[in-house]
Amino acid sequence: MTSRTVFFNILRFFFLILLQVLILNHINLNGYINPYFYIYFILLLPFDTPKWMLLIVSFILGWSIDIFTNSIGLNASACVLMAFARPFVISAISSGPESLLGDTPSLRNQGVKWFLYYAIILILIHHFTFFFLEIFRISEFPYTLVRVLLSSAFTLLLVLISEYMLYPRGK
Amino acid sequence: MRNLFLFFREHYFYFLFLLLETFSLILLFNYNEFQGSSLYSVSNAVSGSVNNMFNGISEYFSLRKTNRVLIEEMAKLHSRIPEAFYVTDVNVFYKKDSIVKLEYKYISAKVISNSTNKRNNFLMINKGSMHGIENHMGVIIGNKIVGQVVSVSPHFSWIMSMLNKDSRISGKFKKNNQLVNVEWSGGNYRKGQVREIPKHIVMYKGDTIITSGNSDIFPEGLMIGTISGFKNPQDENFNNGEILFATDFNSLGYIEVVVDLMRKEKEELKASFKSPQ
Repeated sequence: MTSRTVFFNILRFFFLILLQVLILNHINLNGYINPYFYIYFILLLPFDTPKWMLLIVSFILGWSIDIFTNSIGLNASACVLMAFARPFVISAISSGPESLLGDTPSLRNQGVKWFLYYAIILILIHHFTFFFLEIFRISEFPYTLVRVLLSSAFTLLLVLISEYMLYPRGK
Repeated sequence: MRNLFLFFREHYFYFLFLLLETFSLILLFNYNEFQGSSLYSVSNAVSGSVNNMFNGISEYFSLRKTNRVLIEEMAKLHSRIPEAFYVTDVNVFYKKDSIVKLEYKYISAKVISNSTNKRNNFLMINKGSMHGIENHMGVIIGNKIVGQVVSVSPHFSWIMSMLNKDSRISGKFKKNNQLVNVEWSGGNYRKGQVREIPKHIVMYKGDTIITSGNSDIFPEGLMIGTISGFKNPQDENFNNGEILFATDFNSLGYIEVVVDLMRKEKEELKASFKSPQ
C-alpha cells in the first residue's frame, strides 16, 4: 500500500460520509428505496489491506454514519459483517491469480462479471443486515425484503455509474 | 499458555469480528442507555454542528415558502388580537385575569435534520434544554402535529417523528369525539393507519382526525389528518382506516415545541391517586 493509496482512501472516506449524510439520506422513493452508497468505500479498499484494518475501518465508517442518523450500532454492525465477508467473497469468486490484478477491486481490472458478483454479494449482505436490524420485526418481512432488494439494486447502480465515471474503459 | 496465545493470533480475524459485531449490537439494542452516556452527547454535538452548517445553506432555497407561511400565520394572529374586533355593543365585557390562565407555551425552533425514508424517522432541531425543552414534549407545525421530543442536549433536541414504529398518537374523530389510535406502518410518508375504530362508527372519506388531548403530549384539537380509505374486516372487533396526514413531513422548516405549563400538576394528580382497596 503506497501512501498515495492511503491518502485517496482517507479522502474517499470523508467524501462518501458527507455524500451519504447530506444528500443520499434524504432520497426517498415512495418509502422503498434508500441507497446506502457509502459502503462503496469498503468495496474499494485495496486487496492488501490487513484484515484487522478492514474490520476496524469498516466499523468506524458505519459508526460515523450512525452518529448522523442517530442509529448507534446499526450501520456499524452491518458494515462489520460486510467487511468480515469480504475476504471470503473475494477468494470464492477469484479463479486464478490474474483476477487479483491491480491494487483495488475495480471493474476495469477484474472484469464485469467478477466485479458484479463481488459488488452484488457484498451489497446484499450489508443491506439485508441493515434493513432487518432496523425493523427487527418478522411481521413486516415481505415489505422489508422488497426494500432490501430495491435499495440494493439502486446502490449497485450508483456503484456501477461511479466505476464507469472514475475508471473509463480503454484507458 | 503459549498455544493459547498462538491460537488467538492465528484466528484474530474471527475474534476481532465477533468483538466489534457484539459491541455494535449491544449498543443497538441498549440504545436508550446509550443516550444517557457522555459519548452520546459528544456525537450529538458533532452531527448537530455539521447539520446546522449544511442547513444554513439549504435554508436559502426555501425562503420563499417560509415567507409565505409566516405571512399566513401573521394574518391569522392579527385577526385574533383585541384591536381586530369591532365592538358592536355598548356593554363591554372584561376578562378577569383569574378566568384564563396560560396552559400551553410554544417554543419555535428550526429543523436541522429530518428524514422520511426510514422505518424509524427522527428530526433534530436547533434548540435544547437551554431553551426549556424537555423530554416528552410535543412538536407541532402550525396546527398540525409532527412528533415528540425523545432526547435533549443543551443546544439541540432529538425528536421522534410520527413516522416511527414506536410512535402512537391518541386521536379522535372531530365529528363525534370517538377515540382512535394513529400509527405509521412504513412506506408512503403521507399516509398512516388509524387503528381501533369501534365497529358502530360510520366513516366517510374526508373525515377529520384531531388530537384527543388524552396523552399529555399534545393539546386537544390539533390536526392529524383526514380519512382516505378504510376496511371493515368481519372477523375483528375494530375497523381500520387509512389516514392522509395533514403534515407534510418532507418539508418541515420551522416547528414549535409545546410546553405544557400544567403538566407537573397533572402528573402529580395522577400519582397522588391511590385506588381505594
